[in-house]
Amino acid sequence: MTAVGAGAIRPRSAVSSSALRRNSAYLLGLSPAALLLTLFFVGPSIWAVYTSFTNKALVGIDAARPRFVGLDNYQRLLSDPDFATVLLNSVVFVVGSAVIGQFVLGLLLALLLDHSERRRYRFATVAYAAVLLAWVNPTVIAGFLWVAMYDFYYGSLNTGLALLGLGPVDWLGRFPMLAVIIGNVWRGTAFTMLIFLGALKTIPSDIYEAARVDGANSWRRFWDHTLPSLRPIAALALLSITMSTFGTFILIQTLTNGGPGSQTEVIALYAFHEAFRSYQIGYGSTIAVVMLLLNVAFAVVYLRWSRARA
Amino acid sequence: MEERKISVLSRRAFLQAMAATGVVVACGTSPSTTPSGSAKPATLSGTVTVSYPDELGAKPKYVEKAAADLKAKYSGVDVKIDLQKIASGDYYTKLLLALSGGGDVPDVIHVGGDRIGELADAGYIEPLDKYVSQWDDWKNYPQAVKDGVSYQGKVWAIPYGLDMRWLYIRRDAMEKAGLGAEWTPKNVDDILVGAKAVKDKNAAEIPYALYAGVGADTGTANHSFVPLVWAYGGDILDKSSGKWIGDSPAVRKALDYYQRAYSGGLSPKEILTTTKPWTSMREKEGKGQLALLFEGGWVYGGWQTANKAETEKNVHYVLHPTLSAGPSFTIGGPGTVWYVTAKSKNKDAAWAFIAQWNNKDTVAKLNIEDPHPVARSDSADVAEFKAQPYLVDSTKALEKARFIPTDANYGKVIGAIQKATGRVAAGEMSPDDAAKRYTDDLKQAIGADKVITQQ
Amino acid sequence: MSIGSEARIQTIVPPRARPLEAGSRVEWVLMHIAFVVITVFFLAPFVWLFTAAFDAQAQAYIRWPSQPTLDNFVQIFEKYAFATALGNSVFVAVSTMVLTVVVVALAGYSLSRIELRQKAWITYAILLLQTMPLSATMVPIYGLARELGLRNSYLGLILVHAAIELPFLVWLMKGFFDSVPRHLEEAAWLDGRSKLRALFEIVLPVARPGIAVAAGLSFLSAWAEVLMVLILVDQQNMKTIPLAFYETFRTAGGYTEVQYGLVAAMAVLYVLPVMAVFFATRRLMVRGLMNSTRGL
Repeated sequence: MTAVGAGAIRPRSAVSSSALRRNSAYLLGLSPAALLLTLFFVGPSIWAVYTSFTNKALVGIDAARPRFVGLDNYQRLLSDPDFATVLLNSVVFVVGSAVIGQFVLGLLLALLLDHSERRRYRFATVAYAAVLLAWVNPTVIAGFLWVAMYDFYYGSLNTGLALLGLGPVDWLGRFPMLAVIIGNVWRGTAFTMLIFLGALKTIPSDIYEAARVDGANSWRRFWDHTLPSLRPIAALALLSITMSTFGTFILIQTLTNGGPGSQTEVIALYAFHEAFRSYQIGYGSTIAVVMLLLNVAFAVVYLRWSRARA
Repeated sequence: MEERKISVLSRRAFLQAMAATGVVVACGTSPSTTPSGSAKPATLSGTVTVSYPDELGAKPKYVEKAAADLKAKYSGVDVKIDLQKIASGDYYTKLLLALSGGGDVPDVIHVGGDRIGELADAGYIEPLDKYVSQWDDWKNYPQAVKDGVSYQGKVWAIPYGLDMRWLYIRRDAMEKAGLGAEWTPKNVDDILVGAKAVKDKNAAEIPYALYAGVGADTGTANHSFVPLVWAYGGDILDKSSGKWIGDSPAVRKALDYYQRAYSGGLSPKEILTTTKPWTSMREKEGKGQLALLFEGGWVYGGWQTANKAETEKNVHYVLHPTLSAGPSFTIGGPGTVWYVTAKSKNKDAAWAFIAQWNNKDTVAKLNIEDPHPVARSDSADVAEFKAQPYLVDSTKALEKARFIPTDANYGKVIGAIQKATGRVAAGEMSPDDAAKRYTDDLKQAIGADKVITQQ
Repeated sequence: MSIGSEARIQTIVPPRARPLEAGSRVEWVLMHIAFVVITVFFLAPFVWLFTAAFDAQAQAYIRWPSQPTLDNFVQIFEKYAFATALGNSVFVAVSTMVLTVVVVALAGYSLSRIELRQKAWITYAILLLQTMPLSATMVPIYGLARELGLRNSYLGLILVHAAIELPFLVWLMKGFFDSVPRHLEEAAWLDGRSKLRALFEIVLPVARPGIAVAAGLSFLSAWAEVLMVLILVDQQNMKTIPLAFYETFRTAGGYTEVQYGLVAAMAVLYVLPVMAVFFATRRLMVRGLMNSTRGL
């Protein structure tokens, strides 16, 4: 009985144990990262999901006796008139900052620099360094630098306008969303630019040669050959910057803190404010979980779309 | 090593202070003359952790002195000082994180007295009734001050310097505006008339700073919205039912006042977007770039330090006007106060530190450096305090002060106030719509059963 | 996927001779106008920073220092213990970088080579972890750090800083290793090397640009991180530059002033090291980043 049983499972066992043996080193290699991710991402995320079903707060009676409240926080979020506003603000911010700003500007900069390299324009290096400088400096500094640009009374922009004899403009008051978008584009464009530069360099030159032989002009060449070969990387870059822009809030916090009114209150900042200004951790977690779900949805749509193309 | 250095330094400071003020100090801090000190000297031992934030740099020497004095008084007591040089808002967030979880917490904490309700409800702090009942010095605290640190019939904290606010008026600006240097508003709406005159006559001057939105933090409520609601004859909390008042005639009038101030260009929209609008507005008032500002009594000291003569000549301070009368009232608060945490394992020693720190002399001295009216009235008798006419005026103004509520939900209500004022100031909503929305926000934040409206 | 390993390894190192073309005069002018516009836009905010830091009466706008001075720098060292913060930041950022590089190199390589059916999904799930907003995880991370004794400790700062960028970097490194042909390491195994030795001696040198990217990005992130430092550190002698900067910005000048000169001086000393590190390693890092999307 035992022998038969053992004999029956031996082949399968051999396969799985050899697979395990082959993979054991890799599992070991993954373990430090897995430990850190579990401690600082998976665990806290599970905690946040659980907390989103409670009324946990850091102050008041709810702090003393947190309760399980089911879907109350989710219902509250759906009926929260501010939620629609911050969601819309987030869409505007992401489209303006990530899609139009970093993505398009990054692509244009990459094309410009790639072209300059072919033309041997030395000054291109200076422009290139300037873009990179904006990227490597920390977000708190970036916010502060733009505060100094936009300040109504003493900001560099209005001081410059005054030299031209023009009146001061209340940049953050009148164009708050545009102002934070420009600040974010300023900081983040280098990343997309670098990725596109890398992609451009790997386009085999024989494609160009062939195109030249065909007599295609520069525009045709760009349209027919350069752009299509950038497409897979473009999609990936877009996914990556969209998700990171969706979650960013420190720059906005420094520049406008969501104001005036709630005109620049994006969802990430809203979650932060609910959790750490109103100290309503349960509700703040609910917003964060919804953000995560939106990101998952976006990633799934992206994956489907990119698989469909492949 | 480190500890010895501190105690030597502070002992020297202590001796210098004694030499400077003579008898007063000697009486105030001499252990042998303090009855509560001699009552139970042998019972105290162990370590007390004192956690406090400091932005200005004035407090540490007094905390170190109190620690040294306490250690001198009780040989078994050690004081561990946890000074955090961060903004008070950030300190509060970190403190809540520490208090809300398991594990050790500081024995003594130092945060705004406007937090009493929410801290008490959360069970983070210890009622102090049994201590103050045996504390001789408690009789020096006026009843209004005791009420300001009481919640649900218990005393929860000891204040040292009170908050009160002035309407600051630049004499030079009003002169230029053609209203005369000694102009004061005849009623609350007259503030806007004065601001308009400044705007018309002197385009370079900011007429008026009325705090709105989230950036101005609690200033939006305490320095702007709440006194306006009071000025228009209403209130934000119904005393009899203990419920918060949403949409009401006074709230609508206050929001209408916001609309007039902002749509007329009298108050700068910068307030809505800057991270620290109160700092820049205070700076501008001090430098003569801003004409009218209702702000904390304590900011006058900063201007005085920067330029005493100019400040005394040009910065006029008066009370807040009402619907029908000129300068008549102000808004008070317990200021930053000392609490004993509920989880403290050494509450008696923690209390002893607080009692030690809040002595007559320290209260007087610190309130001169960081100008606030003194919480204990005997400190007002200290000679140096009396020599500051501005502080004497501020202390006197407290007789006309209405105090901010100690209700646990005040923090959440402030959030709703920030939203309502921000919406009107940004031109997103009319005052009436914003008032209706204010009711909804209140209901959502603190529960529909705790909110009423008035027609 | 269909491209052979040989072809893929070539794309990592692309020393491609590109055809040089002479442009027209009009093109030259237009391109250089574009360079100037770009340079001005990206550098203008810095001009303010570097002038204000040397100005005794700094304002929030660009102006030439009327009283040039080093006083702001002296003050941040004397009054704000900047040297301590600088030392802490260098130590924490460098340690974070080293730890991160080791962890993500191991994880990226292992994830690339491991045989799992749901590998693609796991890879994307790791990336999605990164999008969990910090505002929701701050409270549990605070509690965790306290339970593990990681508050007010360098180890705590290093672990948390290393974790923050980990999902993205694991994902990135997996992509790099995917494009390193397996036959290289398989040959090494046949020579009798262990998997770990083969990784270090054969695979990592090929993936050097990827390592450079992981190193650079983790250093930058540890150098910039402020929210976690704010909740993890109470002791003055433990704080890093971002926290020192944040505190100075929020508190310097007391109730009534903004001390732009001090804040700017601190910011200068905060960004200079990252600029220096970045420019010293830019060739390697940029090449790595440019190739970071290969094989994903």
